[in-house]
Parts: sequence; structure tokens; C-alpha cells
Amino acid sequence: MSGPGLLWIDWRLARGATLRDSILRFLFVAPAAFAFLVLLLSGVADRFLASRYAITAVLRTPVPQGEGEGLAGKVAALPSVRDAVYRDPEAAWKEFLLAYPGLDSLRASGGNPLPGYIHIRMRPERLTRADVEQVTAALRSVPIVEKVLAGEERLPRMLLAKRYAAATGWGVFGAFAAIFLVVLLLQERGRAAFLADDFHFLRERGVPEARMNASRAAGGAIAASLTAAAGLILSGAALRFLLQRYPPLEQVVGPPGDLLLPATLRAAAAFVLCFAVLAGGSSLLGSRAARARRK
Amino acid sequence: MIEAFRLGIFARGTTLWDGVDLAFDDGSVSVIVGPPSSGKSVLLSVLRGERPPDAGDVVVAGESLFRGKGGGSRSFRASCAFVPERFADPSVRTVSDLFRLSALAGGGMKEGERRARQEGLLSMVGLAGSGEWRLASLSASERARAELAAELLRGPRFLFGDGVVAAAGGTFRDMLGGLFRALAREGNTIVLAERQIPERWAAAAGQWTDAGPFRVYRIPVPAASAPAGESAAMPAPAGGSATGGVA
Repeated sequence: MSGPGLLWIDWRLARGATLRDSILRFLFVAPAAFAFLVLLLSGVADRFLASRYAITAVLRTPVPQGEGEGLAGKVAALPSVRDAVYRDPEAAWKEFLLAYPGLDSLRASGGNPLPGYIHIRMRPERLTRADVEQVTAALRSVPIVEKVLAGEERLPRMLLAKRYAAATGWGVFGAFAAIFLVVLLLQERGRAAFLADDFHFLRERGVPEARMNASRAAGGAIAASLTAAAGLILSGAALRFLLQRYPPLEQVVGPPGDLLLPATLRAAAAFVLCFAVLAGGSSLLGSRAARARRK
Repeated sequence: MIEAFRLGIFARGTTLWDGVDLAFDDGSVSVIVGPPSSGKSVLLSVLRGERPPDAGDVVVAGESLFRGKGGGSRSFRASCAFVPERFADPSVRTVSDLFRLSALAGGGMKEGERRARQEGLLSMVGLAGSGEWRLASLSASERARAELAAELLRGPRFLFGDGVVAAAGGTFRDMLGGLFRALAREGNTIVLAERQIPERWAAAAGQWTDAGPFRVYRIPVPAASAPAGESAAMPAPAGGSATGGVA
């Protein structure tokens, strides 16, 4: 019995049932892929919290522009820092007036009372206590830095909320995956039971049962890979469209370009592989269950 | 050649039969006749390598089906065709599905080739154009003939039939007889199990061999150089009826 013939044996013997199962799987896997991409890119709450959190390094006055910008450049080079921007005293004054209009008289008496500062944002995936402490320690060791404002009082609660959000987000995704696995098993068992007499026919005619089961599982895994890949491509396109259509979503999910980062592509490949393994395993378990019932 | 030595089956708490010796040459048509519940179906399953006997062995081309490596039994079963006495089919299946399944068992076949051969085989058994008929709508005779045609799709070397002639009915008896003899003339081995052998067949066979509770009739097969246009029906006996058995 030839290999390729056995791989698609379900398709050949029960085309309608196999097509229905595949469509149902796609309807499950497409939203799952969308949720996976959103969770992956956003880190659940990481990106949102990182966009709201900032470390401010208040500089002593006076600090030359070049020195301030040079320090910002060195801070930006730290691996856990997303960006670091130097704001000179004039820029600080303008921001102050925007926040508190009508107080420009404060400057009349003795010049600009505000110092320059460096505004630092952390990378979403590096918003941890250790990384924040590393950045603040590095800043405090610099002579021209007068004070470092890092919200140390609020930071532990924020990090706890981040962990809970991640656990909840991935937990819900995991529960959805578990439900989907049950659906896969039921599908495979149902189809194996429907085809039990046909498999018995083939066994009677010298087709080894182990090879039949292995080929069915391999065929199921290949079909599942294609379904998962199609779901991911569709979901990725939908997410890209949404991010381009609604730019504020970037604060939560990230820019559309992140969809094609190597790390994202690796995670997508792992998603496809996991789905393929689940489908193949379900096929084997379903075959075994159907054979046990037939006996 | 299929040889069975000292076969024995123990079932339902009793010995069904024991010490049965059989031999089927290549290019032969044999009919195993036995009363109901005598174990004909079990015997066929043993001869096909599907079920191991409780005693004895079956040897095909010098290789044991049950005592050697499993591969021998599997390759033998891959070259066998089997038409059972009873069928269990999902109601949605059609005659074409039988052929599709048979093609899969034979290693796969292009769809176009399968369809063409399917039409030819169905015409041969009197079921031309029945590809899309539901199996549940077929009569017992039609079902047996459709199953036979589907099995022949794979060009098997060995054909086992359980109650095929009885199921096909009198109208198709001679047609089947001619078909089996033609297959045997090409070197294939046909082994049938029936409750009764048609009279013309018994007369053509002449003698039978006793094997446990069974009688085994060898249907004469014309040589490959027989003239074209030879009748598909069983040849008429030279004179008188079957004279009796050989123990």
C-alpha cells in the first residue's frame, strides 16, 4: 500500500465528513491565531503598561545641551530601554505651561525655574523590577543627574497586575485550546468510528494497522499545519489592517511591523507545529478509541 | 499453491473440526461445500491468513502464514480478494465507494483509471452503470456481484468467496462460473465456500474430496490454449452425474 495513498485516506473515503471537520477547525483556529498574535505582540498588558510607565532623570542645572543629549544616548543604548529623550529646560518649561496654563508669570522673576530631564521608556518585555533597578542605579551614579523618579512605590503593584494579566490572558487562551483539543478528539473518534469497517477491510487485505494509523496521523498533522498557517495568515492580515486603521491600538499591540519580526515568525511556526501535533495525536487516540469500540 | 495441514478450530467450547488437510493449486477453482454452521467462513478466514487456526498451519508458496514473520501473512493477504457472506455498510455508501476502497487496498490508482476499470468490471457482472447506486439499495445478488467486481479491481492472485454463488442466484451462476474459470486460466486461485454446489458444477467436477466436515470440488479449468469463443458456462459432463467422493 503506497504511502501517499494512505496519507489522505480519510479524504478519499469520507470526503464530506473530512471537509466539514476541516472547516470547523479553521473556524476555531482563525480566532485562536488572532488571539495568539495579540497576546504575543502585546505581552497581554506589557506593552500597555510600558507605554504608561516612564523613568524621569532630572538633571542638575545648568547642563550643556550636548551633555544632556549624550547621556540620553547612553541610556537609550541600555538593552532594557526602548527610548530615552533629553528635554532641555525650555522644552520642560513649555510642557509645564501646557499642563498648567496661566503660570507663565513664574518666569518673570528669575528666569526658567525648570531643569532639563531625560524621559526614559522601558521595553515592554523588560519592564521588570530588576531591569528598572538597573536603569535607575545607572542613572543615579551619573554626577549630572540630580534625581531619578521611577515610581518605586507604585512599581510592585504594577508588576503584580502585569503578572496577573498575563496569567489570565494566557490562561483563557489555554482553556480555549483545551476545548479545541476536545473538539479535535471528538472529530477524530467520530470519523474513525465511521470508517472503522473500511479500516477493517484494509487490514483484512494486508494493510498493516500501525502504518494505517501512523499515515492517518501524519496526514491529519499536515492538513492541520495548512489550516493553522491559513488561519495565521488571515489573522495577521486582519490585525495589520486594524493596526493601520486604528493607530491608537499600537499602544496596546504594537506597530504592524512587529508581525514580521523573526521572534513573531518563530512563535507563529511553533503555533502551527503545536496544532499539527495536537491533530496528529488526536487522530491516533481517535483510531484507538474507535477500534476498541468496534471490538 | 495454498496448502493447509491438519487444521483444527476450537470454538464455543467445542472442537468445530480438526485434522483438515487441503491443497489448492495455482490456476484452480475449488468449491468447499458444507452444511450451515459447519465452519466454512472460519475455514476461509484461516486459509486467507486472517485468523490463525487452533491446530495446524497454512503454507503458501512454501511459507507459513502463521508461524513465520508477520510480513508473509500480510503480503499474502495483500494479494488476496475476499467476498464475504455478510456486509455491513453505512447507508450513504455507493458502489463506487467499494471500488475506491479496493483501489486504496491495492496501493492506490488514478481516479480516471479506476473509473474506467470499474465500468468494465461492473458490466462483466451484470451491473453496468451502477456506480452511483447506494449499497443499501442493492439486492443480495447485486451486492455480492458488486463486491466481487470491486475485489477484482486489484487483480488479485487469490480469490476467496463465501456464499457468492448462492447470493448471486441462478441467473448469474453460469456467468460467475465462466468468470472464475477464466480467472483460473490466467493462473489465479479461486476458493469458494458454499452450502450447496450447483448441479452443473458438481457434474463438471465429477468427483469430490472429503476434508473433515467439508467436500471439496475441483472445477475443471480449460488450458490457456483453449480455442476462442469457448462457452462461459460450465461444460456438460461426459456422461452421468457425479459419482461420489474420494475420502
